Amino acid sequence: MIPTEYFLLLSAGIFCIGLFGVLTRRNALVFLMSVELMLNAANLNFIAFSHMHGNLVGQTFSLFAMALAAAEVAVGIGIVLALYRNFKGVDVTIPTSMRW
Amino acid sequence: MARFRFAEDVRVLPGLVALALFVVMAAAFLGANLPDPAGFPADATLIADIGYSLFDFTDESGVPTEGFLAAFELIDLVLVAALVGAILLAKREDGSIGNPLNWGDDE
Repeated sequence: MIPTEYFLLLSAGIFCIGLFGVLTRRNALVFLMSVELMLNAANLNFIAFSHMHGNLVGQTFSLFAMALAAAEVAVGIGIVLALYRNFKGVDVTIPTSMRW
Repeated sequence: MARFRFAEDVRVLPGLVALALFVVMAAAFLGANLPDPAGFPADATLIADIGYSLFDFTDESGVPTEGFLAAFELIDLVLVAALVGAILLAKREDGSIGNPLNWGDDE
């Protein structure tokens, strides 16, 4: 059986790739994709620990995390659309206030 | 056909934070002494058991789990709120959403 530490290592890698994207990119769509990577790294942790403990709580909870991620992306895409409409671009560093 | 090219708007310096975090986490995880995975029985019906768990039928489940019915209902509300919020955010000031097939063009 694969040790839990390997799952955690993979999860840390995916999380850090997502964090790298959030910290280094300015494109709002890439931001959203990076946040998705971070959320899925958390899901992987849930499932790894579910496997380790031999119960289903982690797997079920990861489904809720996926649903939350879908809700977050729906709102995020709405924000990206508003951003594009008002600034003619999706660079997240250009808007500096909540109103325009 | 579009050619592959690297992104030009990358700020690499803050990205080193992510790399440093990975090194710290990898050291912590590989140094952790976690027990061997218990795993699941070979004849376990995990998908069905997740379904039982979602609807609080935990007695029917062959694998230990908990009930998630309240969370299931809450996530339902959150998804509806997000759907409505996304439409509100996406529509124009005059209340229309335009033709979605033309989104991205100068309407």
